[in-house]
Amino acid sequence: MRSRPLMTLRLKTAPLQDIGAVPRGTRVTFPITGGSFEGERLRGKVLAGGDDWTVKRADGAIELDLRVTLETDDGALIHMTFEGIRDDGAPAAPYFRTTPRFETAEPKYSFLNKLLAVGTGEIRADGPVHVIEELL
Amino acid sequence: MDSRLLMTLQVAVGAVQKIGAVPHGTRVTAPITDGTFEGPRIRGKVLPGGGDWTLLRADGVLELDLRITLETDDGALIHMTSFGLRHGPPDVLAATARGEHADPTTYYFRTTLRFETEHPKYAFLNRLIAVSSGDRRPEGPIYTIDEIL
Repeated sequence: MRSRPLMTLRLKTAPLQDIGAVPRGTRVTFPITGGSFEGERLRGKVLAGGDDWTVKRADGAIELDLRVTLETDDGALIHMTFEGIRDDGAPAAPYFRTTPRFETAEPKYSFLNKLLAVGTGEIRADGPVHVIEELL
Repeated sequence: MDSRLLMTLQVAVGAVQKIGAVPHGTRVTAPITDGTFEGPRIRGKVLPGGGDWTLLRADGVLELDLRITLETDDGALIHMTSFGLRHGPPDVLAATARGEHADPTTYYFRTTLRFETEHPKYAFLNRLIAVSSGDRRPEGPIYTIDEIL
């Protein structure tokens, strides 16, 4: 599958909310307080108010369900969601992949409405970083 | 982004159900009646009963929401879901709608997939994200599905 870079997304999170043992697994919610994104075609900041709703399953893998609003440096708002899987026990290396989707009303960025993307995530000391590529 | 072939999937589509104009666009549901899949680590058939719930949006993009059950050649059942987008030049889309085959590189038809299974041999599917390229053919779509590494 061919792809090309779309953006690198850096998230800042508030203290997590440990919902605890629910029927589907262990639920932990990470409020997102801000962040930034940067790519060749768009850049800007992450607005406060989004979250990543995660569930650690019985098999140890963590399912991610994120919703945030991006604001570009020229003032467009972009609704972004992703689902993903994080498997810290994967044989080769930690596996952390997501499938972001975007919705925007701004014509300049409407190409985002029409693409699918894949992100590679990493937890760093200053917060999660997702390198997101557009599927060509 | 590194990926490798997971399987090639071909599904057969039954008579479509034209739900029509709904608040989000034009909704058409396509029952899946049959199919096959084959890859280096997995092969088998598609059970009847799944469907592809499609929505043509106001911007001309078709959203595809597919759910099917796969049965491997050694008897494991796998729940598969796929969310896709399809769009392209109007003449190309019109040709495929008439049942003609168009070069799949002339339009965008991509999906992201997830799998769920109980079978230990195929448990690796529970822990991966996959993507596919679709090729709309008169006999039914073919998806080349890659695992994201």
